[in-house]
Amino acid sequence: MRIASESNAGTRNPDGLPESIDAKMRLQYEVEQFLYEEAALLDERRFSEWLDFLTDDIHYWMPIRRTTTAKDTENEFTEIGQMAFFDDDKELLTARVRKMAVGYAWSEDPPSRTRHFVTNVRPIAMHGDDVTVEANFHLYRTRLESEEDGWRGRRRDVLRRVSSQFRLAKRHIYLEQTVLLSPNLSNIF
Amino acid sequence: MRNEKWREETGLRAAEKARLPSDFIDVEHGLVDRKIFTDEAIYKDELKRIFGRAWNFMCHESQLPEVGSFFMNYIGEDQVIAVRDREGVIQVLINTCPHRGNTVCRAEQGKTRSFMCAYHGWNFDLNGDLIGVPGLDEFYRGGLKREDWGISKAAKVQSYKGFVFATFDPQSPDLDDYLGWVGKLGLDLMGTDRELVAVPGVQKNRIRCNWKLAVDNLFDWYHPKISHASAIRSGFFDEKLLYPADQMVMLGEYGHAVSGPKITMAEEEALAALSDSERKAVFDSLPGQSWRFTESAAETLGPVGIKSRGHPNIFPNLWVSTGGTQLCLRVPRGPAVTELWWFTFVDKNAPEEQKRKVVRMATHFFGPAGLLEQDDGENWNHSTRTCRETMTSRRRPLNFAMGKGQDMVEVDPSGQSRVETVINEHAQLWLYRSWAEWMEAEDWPALIANHAAEPRGRI
Ligand code: FES
Ligand SMILES: [Fe+2]
Repeated sequence: MRIASESNAGTRNPDGLPESIDAKMRLQYEVEQFLYEEAALLDERRFSEWLDFLTDDIHYWMPIRRTTTAKDTENEFTEIGQMAFFDDDKELLTARVRKMAVGYAWSEDPPSRTRHFVTNVRPIAMHGDDVTVEANFHLYRTRLESEEDGWRGRRRDVLRRVSSQFRLAKRHIYLEQTVLLSPNLSNIF
Repeated sequence: MRNEKWREETGLRAAEKARLPSDFIDVEHGLVDRKIFTDEAIYKDELKRIFGRAWNFMCHESQLPEVGSFFMNYIGEDQVIAVRDREGVIQVLINTCPHRGNTVCRAEQGKTRSFMCAYHGWNFDLNGDLIGVPGLDEFYRGGLKREDWGISKAAKVQSYKGFVFATFDPQSPDLDDYLGWVGKLGLDLMGTDRELVAVPGVQKNRIRCNWKLAVDNLFDWYHPKISHASAIRSGFFDEKLLYPADQMVMLGEYGHAVSGPKITMAEEEALAALSDSERKAVFDSLPGQSWRFTESAAETLGPVGIKSRGHPNIFPNLWVSTGGTQLCLRVPRGPAVTELWWFTFVDKNAPEEQKRKVVRMATHFFGPAGLLEQDDGENWNHSTRTCRETMTSRRRPLNFAMGKGQDMVEVDPSGQSRVETVINEHAQLWLYRSWAEWMEAEDWPALIANHAAEPRGRI
């Protein structure tokens, strides 16, 4: 782990993150509050409000993970431009939300009951208005009588300050599963 | 007598045990007994009699670019490794070490020089030969003949235009004969005149359903308007595209079939009347599908095939989907569990922008997050589940009778035959009828002798 140098005259380290503990705490707090609020919107199924949390150029992406040997782990995840589970822009995310609202969206009707847990939140870089944040997540879903699915993994988000509020500009979702054990991915991560 | 009454009350018929696979399929009335979707013994038999004999899709040659490239797949529930050996030949090895049964490969894809078993270190060449045994002299002391203990392999491995298939059954006909014209047409609907390459990344996910229900759905043009209503209503799909009135069905030997929309005369004329730039606009709106409007495609697909926009199934479980850009394998993982594996293809020589469109379209339509596919799984899941419910499963067969007895098979002068009609369930019923033939045949010679020929006349 890199230790910030005391003698560094500037107030930011090479990742662009603030040096002082107060500024770090403030950033951590702001980032966490944004992510928690966003998660609450999703669990409350307030999807159109959630869309307002996104920048217009958002890239929402979940690559495919593969079981590889230890020396081949660079090929573990597919790359951008290759196949993925999600490779969405704002238009497509809007279509997903619209789809759930127009009726007869069977995978979400009756609605899934979901709970998003966001933990291990770490701002890892800050450049201009963009803060790159890594976090672990657990998305629990249960449906109907007794259907149960769960996804755990890591998210790498870019939160952008837009008129003093954060907006989500990028969400890259890295699951732990290779073969998805769930019948679909009809929820938002 | 008392015994008979008991059987009746519990729903168990005296003949239950003696039933033949064909007893479960009432072809004449288009009825299928629910038991075949849930019964453990039937499922075990399917692994042997269907997957154990059929030509099973392994991968595309472009997924194995170099010596040592491998891709893991299944034949039934037996895990196999498709690998390019030192001679450049694709081998299909059964992933089990002959010593104590451990697997010899644990990665789902990659590149290797050999397969070394992680248990005691037996080492196998890319063609399956046993090339290394720790302690061969010291412990076996001449008692182990290496040449007798190579890894087991599929009986035959063959390709059709880059699509690699394997069979465990040495008596099976060659792949070409197995596919017949309908199977070949099915694969040619991938646009095989192009230089196809697989896009890295196979989406895999698990649905709690019987594999046959996932297969019969691929012929099902009745469900989109309802199952996929939200995708249509949200403006993502054109209702006409998902629910086209004009349908065409081709039924082939051994259970292969193509079923779905037909390019209508009106559409053809409309296309012919367009200027080149307008036609280009139409092609651009169908990423990866402009190959269909070439002369070579017309020649490869034949006068009937070129009119099909339907969904082929290569029996038993390979769906050729979405206008030549994707294949979906329905991998059985138990009587009530099926994995869907999506393979995506682009024309190597297409512009990058076009390839990118194909890949994005594939992610947005299909796969577990696909705006279409996310609404399918629960239907199949519940269809499977209710077949387990004792009362219904014993008493009420499922209905596959749509169009039964109401259509004619027409034969084109080219020899290609088809039914032109409205939405129907001919291909589904053909699937189950073929299923019974496969299940009843004792071996390949019996299946060759006793399977139904392509139907003619009224069906
Ligand atoms: S089980 Fe493979 S070497 Fe013993
Ligand atoms: Fe569907």
